[in-house]
Amino acid sequence: MINSISTDDFSQMKDIRTLCTLIFGVAVMLFFGMAYPHHLHYQEQFQLFLFDSDYVWGIVRLPGGVADLLGRFCTQFFLYAWVGAFIIGFLLACIQLFTLRLVNWGRLYGLSFLPSCLLWLFLLDENALLGGVWSVLLTLLASWIYGKLPKGLIRGILLVVAVPVLYWIAGPISIVFFLLQAPTPRLNAKYYGVFVLWVAMLVVAAQYLTVPAGSLWGGIHYHRYPTESATLLWGASLSAFVLAFLARVCRKWVDVPCKLVVTLSSFAVVVMAMGGVAWKNANFKAEKTMQYDFMACHQQWNRIIDAINTEKPNNQIGVTVQNLALAMRGMLPQRMFDYNQNGLLGLLPAVQRDATTPMPTAEAFYQLGMVNVAQRTVFEAQESILDFQKSGRCYKRLAQTNLINGNYEVARKYLTALQKTIFYSEWADQTMALLGDEKAINGHPEYGRLRKMAYKDDFYFSDQATPTMLEDLYNRNKDNSLAYQYMMAAFMLTGDRDSFMKYAPTNR
Amino acid sequence: MNKFLYALLSIVLLAACTSETVSDARQEAAQPQIYPDYNGVTVPVNIAPLCFGMADEKVLCVDAVITDSHGNDLHCQGEESVDFDIDDWHELLDQNRGDSLRVTVSAKYEDGWHTYLPFSIYVSPDSIDYGICYRLIEPGYEVWSKMGIYERDLSSFDERALIENTQFEGCVNCHSFNRGNPADMSLHIRGAHGATLLRHGNGPFEAYNTKTDQTLGLCVYPYWHPSGRYVAYSTNSTSQLFHSAGHNRVEVFDTASDLQVYDVEKNELLLSPILKQDSVYETFPVFSADGRSLYFCAARALPEKSLALDSIHYNLCRVDFNPETGTFGTRIDTIVAAGTQGKSVSFPRPSYDGRFLCYTLSDYGQFSIWHHEADLWLLDLSTGESKPMAAANSKDTESFHNWSTNSRWMVLSSRRDDGLYTRPYFCHVDAKGVVGKAFMLPQRNPRKFYRERFMSFNVPDFIIAPTEFDGNKASRIINDESRKDFGVRK
Repeated sequence: MINSISTDDFSQMKDIRTLCTLIFGVAVMLFFGMAYPHHLHYQEQFQLFLFDSDYVWGIVRLPGGVADLLGRFCTQFFLYAWVGAFIIGFLLACIQLFTLRLVNWGRLYGLSFLPSCLLWLFLLDENALLGGVWSVLLTLLASWIYGKLPKGLIRGILLVVAVPVLYWIAGPISIVFFLLQAPTPRLNAKYYGVFVLWVAMLVVAAQYLTVPAGSLWGGIHYHRYPTESATLLWGASLSAFVLAFLARVCRKWVDVPCKLVVTLSSFAVVVMAMGGVAWKNANFKAEKTMQYDFMACHQQWNRIIDAINTEKPNNQIGVTVQNLALAMRGMLPQRMFDYNQNGLLGLLPAVQRDATTPMPTAEAFYQLGMVNVAQRTVFEAQESILDFQKSGRCYKRLAQTNLINGNYEVARKYLTALQKTIFYSEWADQTMALLGDEKAINGHPEYGRLRKMAYKDDFYFSDQATPTMLEDLYNRNKDNSLAYQYMMAAFMLTGDRDSFMKYAPTNR
Repeated sequence: MNKFLYALLSIVLLAACTSETVSDARQEAAQPQIYPDYNGVTVPVNIAPLCFGMADEKVLCVDAVITDSHGNDLHCQGEESVDFDIDDWHELLDQNRGDSLRVTVSAKYEDGWHTYLPFSIYVSPDSIDYGICYRLIEPGYEVWSKMGIYERDLSSFDERALIENTQFEGCVNCHSFNRGNPADMSLHIRGAHGATLLRHGNGPFEAYNTKTDQTLGLCVYPYWHPSGRYVAYSTNSTSQLFHSAGHNRVEVFDTASDLQVYDVEKNELLLSPILKQDSVYETFPVFSADGRSLYFCAARALPEKSLALDSIHYNLCRVDFNPETGTFGTRIDTIVAAGTQGKSVSFPRPSYDGRFLCYTLSDYGQFSIWHHEADLWLLDLSTGESKPMAAANSKDTESFHNWSTNSRWMVLSSRRDDGLYTRPYFCHVDAKGVVGKAFMLPQRNPRKFYRERFMSFNVPDFIIAPTEFDGNKASRIINDESRKDFGVRK
């Protein structure tokens, strides 16, 4: 299947093609690093990669598990957006290189970028998983290696072995490996035999694996939504086969010596066109929302205020974060009406059953000292992650709330898990030392303060915080400046003039 | 594969640790503090090895020698936990039915070896059932992540998923067997594909819609009649609220609930006006050992919209049931008037020999798993006297429980380890009602296993044999929209 490009052609074009690949990789990296960094943070916070044998086994035991594992491993680095952007750029550049080696593309050189560009589009979706990209890469890598093998019996045997092994490594995307063997004339009998093997394997696997049978054909973990089919991912991988097939069919027209300008033009046309499509399809509105959530998560209050002064948020997460930042800087009652508001729902939105929207609200609950409510909100958000993964951000917060509440053994569970990560282990080690140390916790600037601020008299909470709850919180501890600001803001938003006047600064 | 990994791990641990000889050990005057606490427990002869580690985590190596009165011994050493050879363990227990084993533990710390006073494990001649079946779920609030129904062989460490919610959209709960016999099985599915799967007499599973126009809602909390012909259910309008302060997290309560019995053979629900009173919450129905009584919990209903949840106190009640005609008695007897003591009964479970009834007692309400004060009590059905099962209880929650088929063992849910995650414990109850100290479900490396598993063992119940449950087939039935409706006896 894989034709060797002549040495002369290769040497002529090698440097320029390497440069094109490099340019493409850098372009992808710049896009994700500069225009889409918070999508990467979003991805990171919905998984928790553990250096733990049980965790690894739980992933690799399913078809596509190795690709999934590699995807999860890489995604943990998305905590630092530029590292994540580099990883994506590198992977897409590698995929382009392996696509390039499938056939002699000749004057259609630019089309070798198409699968990578489609994957770029795929990754615009914050719920598209990097394991899918790894599946394509591993499939193309296997095809390239297989193409290097000398023809003969061993090659035939390896094909039979490679199909199930690759299926287990990369999942159903690996069908592309099988398809890529199609144009080789002598393989016909084996070819259909291998196809039967592939189908039989899936039918058998469906009897033993606790996954929906359909996911064995469509992919278990290419997309966070179990019911969502990763159309662009499949498009990208199948395009590698279709384009390579077309290049072979049209060999006489394609495989001719071409000038540098043709190569560059085809590269420029494809990459710029697809780059334009990517830009047009990028969800910058979601990126902005994710930015607010990211800043709240990292308690970047001044940065939030700078951001809201540049552009006033007009969605629920943005308004929630805006109000929290104003309160953290002691400006909420004075300046809240300089910005958009959404009634009480903009202050402390009702707890929703999804993984995203409750997180900024949970941050507000936590900072206010409503520790149990924050704990529940974070727990529910984590449980709502659609692909059943866990979250480093949530584990961290759950360890904190349990520590504040004195549930040290539960906190220890979360911290033990976080100790098995790269980026949370140091924090987990430090926090582990606090467990059971009442003096240290009470003296801690954050945990000690929140212990003092927290409710002592129990009441039932459902989904929506009320002004009365904030009033109780404030009356419980008059030093709780945040509770005071939220309470006053709530009185203003509900038009409760009497209560507002009761607590107005002149009457305090 | 897991076995292979464990074998590999064992080899590594052995290489790291077995060369150690307990030498120059300081003799301690106390018995060792071990985790799980197996000191002085009574165990069934067919239980899996009671692997354990030291309770503190500073230990470098732990060494255990088990000896018996016949001169046999079993030795094991490990870094975190001792992991006894399973065949040697079973052989030793088999040779010591009705006798005690003596366990001598030595632990190596920075300052060298320490040897502790030996403790005993009593091997009961009463065997325990094949295994337990339970749901694994995070102890959360309203939303669920991955969960499933699993079975575990009690004589080994093998666990198998029967069905997981990765196979369909929804959640699974209310797994129930007729006296541990999986030939009669009920499983409830919630969510978009809600159904009750019923298997009777080892036949095929059928998916039912248990909601009728004459009942409150879906049938839950199933309990099989000993004949296998009937299943008692309650229907509950359930709500949740969340505590804003303190250690309590969730309050699950009913705003209405009724009882009914399902006739499996005639596909009809048997209703009775005295079991569906508007002014009473009736829940947790169970049949007596002879099948001629229905025990249940009942509380006076709260006024509409009242949130005085701490004033809901369930009593243990009983009504006659005639299995020949499928009819109920006309009088309800209060067996345990917990409400008069400001307490509340939940999860009544009669022993199958008809001698006892075990129930959970908490301060109020019926969802005792979220009540730290909840304890198990044993009612002697011949005398009517109740007493706390002190040896099985802890300072934290004890909640769901059930009896082994020989009525000599109980499996119970407890949150004693960390106050949140429910783990199965077992205790022996002899013919006189003397309760043995509860011991935790054995694992190869218990601390690692329980600390790293973020799941509660929900509703652990005995099974006498593997369930032969085909999860893929069941998920196809669940995903199929077809449901058979429960009928109602006219």
